[in-house]
Amino acid sequence: MASIFEKLWRLGPAAFVLKAIIAALVANGLLLAFILLRRTYRKRYFAKRDARVYELRQSWDALVSGEIPFDTWRSKPFDRRIVEAIALDAFEAAGPEQSARLLKFLRTSGLIEKRIFEARHLKGWRRMRALVALGRTRAPEGIPALAEGLRDRDLETRLAALRGLGRMACPQAAEEILAWLGEKGLTVPDLPLQGALVQCCAERPQLLLPYIKNAESHLREVLGRVLGEVATPSLGPDLLQFVGDDLDELRAAAARAMPQTHSAFAPEVLSELAADPVWFVRLRAIVSLGKLSDCRAIPTLLRGLMDSNRLVRWRAAEALVEFKTEMVPIFEKVVAARDRYGLHAYLTALENAGMRGQLEVELQANTRTIEDVKQRLRNVLETGTLPVEEPATAASLPNSAMELR
Amino acid sequence: MTRFLDISNHALFWYYLASNVAYLTMLIVALKTSLAHQRRLESHRLKWIKETPLAPPITIIVPAHNEEGSIRVAVRNLLQLDYPQLEVIVVNDGSDDRTLDEMREEFLLRLVRAVYVAEAKTAPVRGLYRSEVNASLLVVDKEPGGSKADAVNAGLNAATSPYVCVVDADSILERDALLRIMMPILEDPKRVVAVGGIIRVLNGSEIAGGQLQRVRLPRKAIEVIQVIEYLRAFLIGREAWGQGNMLMIISGAFGVFRTDLVRAVGGYRATAIGEDFDLVARLHRHLRQQEMDYHIQFVPDPMCWTEAPSDLRSLGRQRARWQKGLLDVLWPCRDMLFRRRYGRIGYLALPYLWIFELLAPAIEIGGIVTIVLAACLGALSQGFFVQFLLFGYAFATMISIGSVLQEEITYKRYNDWQDVARLVSYCFLEHFPYRQLHMIWRLQGLWQYLRGDNVWRPLTRKGLESAHIR
Repeated sequence: MASIFEKLWRLGPAAFVLKAIIAALVANGLLLAFILLRRTYRKRYFAKRDARVYELRQSWDALVSGEIPFDTWRSKPFDRRIVEAIALDAFEAAGPEQSARLLKFLRTSGLIEKRIFEARHLKGWRRMRALVALGRTRAPEGIPALAEGLRDRDLETRLAALRGLGRMACPQAAEEILAWLGEKGLTVPDLPLQGALVQCCAERPQLLLPYIKNAESHLREVLGRVLGEVATPSLGPDLLQFVGDDLDELRAAAARAMPQTHSAFAPEVLSELAADPVWFVRLRAIVSLGKLSDCRAIPTLLRGLMDSNRLVRWRAAEALVEFKTEMVPIFEKVVAARDRYGLHAYLTALENAGMRGQLEVELQANTRTIEDVKQRLRNVLETGTLPVEEPATAASLPNSAMELR
Repeated sequence: MTRFLDISNHALFWYYLASNVAYLTMLIVALKTSLAHQRRLESHRLKWIKETPLAPPITIIVPAHNEEGSIRVAVRNLLQLDYPQLEVIVVNDGSDDRTLDEMREEFLLRLVRAVYVAEAKTAPVRGLYRSEVNASLLVVDKEPGGSKADAVNAGLNAATSPYVCVVDADSILERDALLRIMMPILEDPKRVVAVGGIIRVLNGSEIAGGQLQRVRLPRKAIEVIQVIEYLRAFLIGREAWGQGNMLMIISGAFGVFRTDLVRAVGGYRATAIGEDFDLVARLHRHLRQQEMDYHIQFVPDPMCWTEAPSDLRSLGRQRARWQKGLLDVLWPCRDMLFRRRYGRIGYLALPYLWIFELLAPAIEIGGIVTIVLAACLGALSQGFFVQFLLFGYAFATMISIGSVLQEEITYKRYNDWQDVARLVSYCFLEHFPYRQLHMIWRLQGLWQYLRGDNVWRPLTRKGLESAHIR
């Protein structure tokens, strides 16, 4: 049997080209016709849709209250899609009272049941659309259908279900997600999962604790990050168990969560974490110390200003600049530390915050500092360099790791 | 002689056929991918991403050299972008016009003594400026470095975010462009290391308050043809290559990269002519050598609108430079060809670029010459000659209309009937004599490079003049 290449060759280039020309010309004609027809169709469709949206908007209150019987629009897919879209958009911006009214409308009109059915029985894109729409309704009865979506083999469907549950933003949805994670492990990318959990666990972050204790390492990290975002004062003592955790991410999460707990021991814990060997744990601790706005944090922040990591130094500097009443003493200490990287970071933060002028004024007005010292500080502020008479040595720099800078 | 011409014509025929089949495959893949992407977008809501505390910060780097005409609009546009954590760094690359003054006036810049660690070597930095009106704007003023890459490296040194996005100073981003381009990264931050967005031709459109108000097709034929070229290159070529994780170019006008990786490969190569292509090629090499599981992706909906050359001279220079850039990158990458270590990049993407991009002008112009010669010597049947031309014409038109269709069924930015009619009509008109002219420019580029003229030169910009600014 002749191969395809032999057949092609026997056909001869000329005959082949002729056929190819005809095919290409037909394809051109079809493409043009498709563009033309599609444009015409869409123009008519959107004109019709606009007119119908306008009509339905005019009678929206009557529609929602049920004065206009649901059957008048429910049986027409075109109208149903418009009504659902308007209702879900309104839902996103509605207050509690309006939300309750809209939810009642979605329930009594049967739209939620329809979406639940679609989320369970449709396939592919239509199922994904139904899952997300179901989540947007925030109706708890949709949670089981969304939980089924989480167990689908297709990743896109799982993601759509996760987004839907995220929109529910309630502890029941969080429980479903966490149960599924316990069952199947991490089978979706981190960020959509974190996003959904952040929304769902905001009300009850304690839900996360047992799962963090028992999860495998990477999932533990992901859940730890969520905990860092959603921590509340009620979580204070529970967070302490993560301060000494083996996982860097968990320690970082604990540092991130600490200011939200408003606990009295937060400065001490954060100071401890600010000396962690891992840079991003130190970074989180320094950022959190800055958020506390507590003078007890100043010595740790000054230490952070001389950290071997550039980001830690910057965040420490930004935090220090926020202590507006302590500007002169802090600046004195920054200069006394004789770390030019720390000094530059501090001056940069000062410049960025537009506080340089204020520090100059305060230096001028300060009566506690002797004139000599004041002059020296003014020089440092003006030139951005440390005084030359006492050259800094690498040995004198705390955490010195010049090569890392 | 006749025998040679016969062989040459046959070779040319098969070359054209292979090239067209490749393009047709890409068109089909791109249509399928675009439709899937459109569907996926239906289950995303950008507002949710905008509000998430987990979106990583981005630094936008804007290299600017003599951009006094466009810098205000461009920077204003960037500062208005929707994204939770954004830093904008404009690098004034030794402009000898009023670029820095324009920014000083518009954004009330003040000199700051900020930390600047020159991890990537660049021309000396004169000073750093921070805006009084928007703290997220930083301006790096430096000595001219002689290349865009040098300016981007300076921005990279000052960047503080885990992701950097390089944007040209004569470009306008759509308000949600960053949210859209970050979507693949947010979904898979471990694997996705770089994402490219789509570049569109700004000429003819209307801008107000730093935002694109109305998209219109430009008036000049040469600009409309470029619109089709951009649609073809991005909506077909990059979409298809990106789908197979073989994207070799992320346009220098708009792309997001992981900062640590850009730093790991030494930043942009200052001497590169096509610095954007060069960076992506080096990233592929680095990541393949590290045996990392990675993805360099293209997303077709985050749009960047840029000024396209509006006269033949500038366009010719631009295309010659692109061709030089291609050779400048492909030559150092020749050791990646057909090496198992580099996988599909070495077996497919790079050979395609060599055969159908780099050598195309030489082969096409050589082919035209031999066909004409064979026809004159009677070695080619005139019927076949005409058929061959017709085939090439009809097929190339089909691909162009395919790209317009792709735009129509997905993003549909040209809403006016007149614009679409013009766009389609130029799909038929672009082949003579523009295509031949284009090949000559590209051939010139190759010739210039081989002669040793391989210095990066900025193009003369009109400064968004081609768009109507209100």
